[in-house]
Amino acid sequence: MRAVRTTLRYAVLLAVLVIMVFPLLWMFRVSLLETGASISLFDVSNLDFTLQNYLDLFESDRMARFLFNSAFVGVAVTLGNILFCFMVAYTIARYRYIVNKMLFVTVILILMIPAHIIIIPLYVLMVRWGLYDTYWALILPWLVNPIGIFLVKQYIESIPPSMEEAARIDGAGEMAILFRVVMPLCRPALAVLAIQVFFTNWNSFLFPFILTQREGIRTIPVALALYQGHQAIDWQHLMAGSGIAVVPVLVLFVIMQRQIVAGITAGGIKQ
Amino acid sequence: MRWSKARALVLGLPWLLTFALFWLYPIVYSLIIGFTDKQLLSPERHWVGLDNYRSLLSDPAFIASLKNTFIFVVGTIPFTTVIALALALLVNREFRGRGVFRSGYFLPSITSMVVIALIFTNLYQRGGYIAYLASLAGLSVPEHGFLYSDSTALYSIMAMDVWMAVGYYMLIFLAGLKSIPGELYESAAVSGAGRIRQFFSITLPLLRPVGLFIVVINSIKSFQVFVEIFVMTKGKFDTSTMVYFIYETGLTTKFQFGYASAAAYILFVIIAVFAAAQFWLFRRKQVVW
Repeated sequence: MRAVRTTLRYAVLLAVLVIMVFPLLWMFRVSLLETGASISLFDVSNLDFTLQNYLDLFESDRMARFLFNSAFVGVAVTLGNILFCFMVAYTIARYRYIVNKMLFVTVILILMIPAHIIIIPLYVLMVRWGLYDTYWALILPWLVNPIGIFLVKQYIESIPPSMEEAARIDGAGEMAILFRVVMPLCRPALAVLAIQVFFTNWNSFLFPFILTQREGIRTIPVALALYQGHQAIDWQHLMAGSGIAVVPVLVLFVIMQRQIVAGITAGGIKQ
Repeated sequence: MRWSKARALVLGLPWLLTFALFWLYPIVYSLIIGFTDKQLLSPERHWVGLDNYRSLLSDPAFIASLKNTFIFVVGTIPFTTVIALALALLVNREFRGRGVFRSGYFLPSITSMVVIALIFTNLYQRGGYIAYLASLAGLSVPEHGFLYSDSTALYSIMAMDVWMAVGYYMLIFLAGLKSIPGELYESAAVSGAGRIRQFFSITLPLLRPVGLFIVVINSIKSFQVFVEIFVMTKGKFDTSTMVYFIYETGLTTKFQFGYASAAAYILFVIIAVFAAAQFWLFRRKQVVW
């Protein structure tokens, strides 16, 4: 009875697993097929594969450009969030002035506001400010985010202030306390924040899409989405490009799984 | 003391600037232009009062996007929530290889929506994998594939969305399950309650707050569905949603900023009402111990 149950359980688990990972495997499979090969069905007996599609993509330097854009914007936004979310979270967690309370109110407010409301005005304002179609448009608005502030604030509040007091008595300056005492203590929370921000940014499509126009500034998701429109769909190369977009995420997922899961259970990712 | 207050403010400055420049200002700005006929090509803008709102409500394209958005929200969230809970229960207990299954189920959630949408465009096309499986199962497949038919396109995108989201909400349910004290189950077992009874009298009621959280954040997200529509159908085949409508009217061809902003505010109000209603519904049935 017990053995039957276990077998059944694993059968269900495996069936679901196949459904969940098949599309990604399919993507890699198609990306490894030769140009012109039939891609409609999964032929298990066909084990031929070629890296040519990936090589093609890197030969024209457009793909390298898109990768650079995604990485540059992603790293800039992530570093900004680590520093700024920490600063803002610290002042909200440790100071009790009215300004700080109001600051927290605005954080909660924006946390709850759906982002679609700023699509049109952000476009208009970016054009007016001369930031449209520049890296600034992709970086500046996202350098600090309410979920990140909230996450780090919760963490700082769980740290007893005695460490800071001790450092103060030793004559440490406030800035030194902030960056040499508290910030290192917050490393676990900041790691969670960093991975969450990086993933959201790496996968982000809507705002990078509406705030840019030139091909040279496109991030990978934007480039992929717009690649489709040009000619009859070239699945091999499109899936190879998708593979390139997914691999960094997969690698980070394997390395930082704990932090990713912690970030998700601490609060939803705002898109 | 003064100095300290100044420092508190300086530390908060990054958020204060972001809030003012990239949230508050745009939100107020679009509220105002929603009452004007502002467009990209006409330099002047005129105050038109509620005209945009009035024309929206008699614009068939807007009504269609409203209808599709509701179908999307109402049609995906129950499935996503129930499947996510089922998966969470499936991988909650300790067993060999649990981590592999959890990660596998979660994998689609960390993948870019653009990539997922492209893969499914391939799977859904004529002669594609899903079409093949559907015909094996004896289902009729639209002539040009699932995404090229008014009757299947939106539902196909919805199915993909459920598939993509369940792993993410499974993780949140798992966190909720972990917070239920084990003693409750022990004492229930002692007093003779079976597995099913335990599920309905302990697990489900105690998961209510997590369930509320999931339904609320999922509906806020789903009301704003855009990327998959853009990538898979460009709003054709009766799949245009509200954010797609906002994009199309505001940022393509005529760039009707005022009109699109008014549409964005209507969606904003709908989301707010929906979220409030969900809170109210769930709160009322709160279990009293």
